[in-house]
Amino acid sequence: MSETREQVRAYIVDNFLFGDDSGLEDSTSFLESGMIDSTGILEVISFLEEQFSIKVHDEELIPENLDSIGNIVGFLGAKMAVA
Amino acid sequence: MPNISNQTLIHQFLEESARALPGKCAMVHGKERISYEGLNREANLVARWLMDKGVTPGDRVALMMENCREYLAGYYGVLKTGGVAVPLNPDLKPDGLVPLLARITPKCIISSAKCEKALREIDLPVLSIPLLLIARPRLKWNDVPLTACSFGEITGSGDGSDPDLQINETDLASIIFTSGSTGQPKGVMLSHRNIVANTNSIVRYLELTSSDIQMVVLPFFYVMGKSLLNTHVAVGGTVVINNTFAYPASVVQQMIDEQVTGFSGVPSTYAYLLHRSPLRSVRDRLTSLRYCSQAGGHLASHTKVDLIKALPEHTKLYVMYGATEASARLTYVEPHRLHDKIDSIGIPIPDVNMKVVGGDGEELPQGETGELVAQGPNIMQGYWHDPDSTAKALSIHGYHTGDLGYMDRDGYFFVVGRRDNQLKIGGHRVNPQEIEDALIDTDLVMECAVLGIEDTLAGHRLVAAAVPIEVETTERDILQRCSQTLPRHKLPSEIRFFKALPKNSSGKIDRAACKELMKEN
Repeated sequence: MSETREQVRAYIVDNFLFGDDSGLEDSTSFLESGMIDSTGILEVISFLEEQFSIKVHDEELIPENLDSIGNIVGFLGAKMAVA
Repeated sequence: MPNISNQTLIHQFLEESARALPGKCAMVHGKERISYEGLNREANLVARWLMDKGVTPGDRVALMMENCREYLAGYYGVLKTGGVAVPLNPDLKPDGLVPLLARITPKCIISSAKCEKALREIDLPVLSIPLLLIARPRLKWNDVPLTACSFGEITGSGDGSDPDLQINETDLASIIFTSGSTGQPKGVMLSHRNIVANTNSIVRYLELTSSDIQMVVLPFFYVMGKSLLNTHVAVGGTVVINNTFAYPASVVQQMIDEQVTGFSGVPSTYAYLLHRSPLRSVRDRLTSLRYCSQAGGHLASHTKVDLIKALPEHTKLYVMYGATEASARLTYVEPHRLHDKIDSIGIPIPDVNMKVVGGDGEELPQGETGELVAQGPNIMQGYWHDPDSTAKALSIHGYHTGDLGYMDRDGYFFVVGRRDNQLKIGGHRVNPQEIEDALIDTDLVMECAVLGIEDTLAGHRLVAAAVPIEVETTERDILQRCSQTLPRHKLPSEIRFFKALPKNSSGKIDRAACKELMKEN
């Protein structure tokens, strides 16, 4: 799972923080920190679907699944365990 | 229910609700709840702190924070001092923030931890801002030469009674910056009377009561979000704050859990709700949802029809129209007329008069297209420190909306486009809204923006930025369907797909940013 975490983190840092990852922890909320807005969340979802060959369903669009690196890693783990 | 008709000042709505319904829940945010009595007390403590630190009537106080309990206490607290509340987008970076602060010269900034980083990058003392009040600060401010204080320090104890200052209904209450697509944002000056009048009108046509529970996903710094707050506090209702609409499923779930009676959004809100949320599958559980309301731009009629089908049968849809310059609202479509007036912006709300005027300022007869001009007690006083723009927007006829439209024989108004948004394609004048509607009508597109890219031969070349509903959709699929309804000169020469379209701070599609995207590559 650490490889998944690194992939997600690298995507977030490259695309939303312009390479500056200071202050970004696994638990940092994307929305509360203002790091990513609602448009950006859709981009994150597209990245996850393409990179990890999963489908994020409408009912799965909740902060507990997607609003931090830690939440995404946990969500991906559960999705891939089912697949 | 509080008696709203007697109030002449915005904060008196809160004071009356606190008197009539002290224990009633005013706000829900996550696990936090506050009663009217508690909220009014906190607002009074903020007001007394501001007055103690030298804030006097007419002083501007900037409110730069996300929707939260402290926003409510700060907003009403400022109004109780006779001060002018200036809401600012909490996502502003120093480059955008400094020019606004320099224009409004606030005596105080009320903010939150989310904005601390941007505020630290600004030299507040150089801007002559002596006071800072922060909700749940994370940084230390002792090294900055100003008076900084946290909400926790002032709302814990003290005299929480109403200050009862002498404030006139014509006094300035708020300056709200428009999210204009061109030029610098304009500061719309609204008096207590403007906002109170519009609040009363909205309460009447939406038939709001103290039983109403409103889901708020729009920011309070945007005039439509603020009107949700003003109207529900006026009737003693409840606002449920949810700042995570990026995750629509969680918002829908909270609407069920909190038995929400009202939901409001701009067009993109409803595009997400329809295409990226479990709305259809849970609609039977939205048993309390009395109505949904939409404003903030044109919603394609196809989307309205889809929305009506997706919502529970008992839920009414209010399509509305307004402007920051009108304190929020100008017209609405009565829900029972929505089907036969599906493309209309409706009839004027109570106390508003609207007409269609021609180039010489004369009123045009029904059916003829001209500029929509509105009059009423809700129309702004003007733009802050901008007499030229004020003179263009306000005349003896009222507020010039900049929208072109006409009135039908039933008195319903229709907008056909923006005065400044007509594109010239070859020899034809084209209205982008018509083409956007055709794209949405294909059932293949979630949201789109039709734009004119400058072209030396044709004047403009029509292009579209679009978000497809399904990833497999091709440009050809869409053009094929559009060609059944649009003449050839109205077909976009290019449709480029995006995962999402850029939005401005109030959730509306940012056309200038879309244009930049289309120019890339």
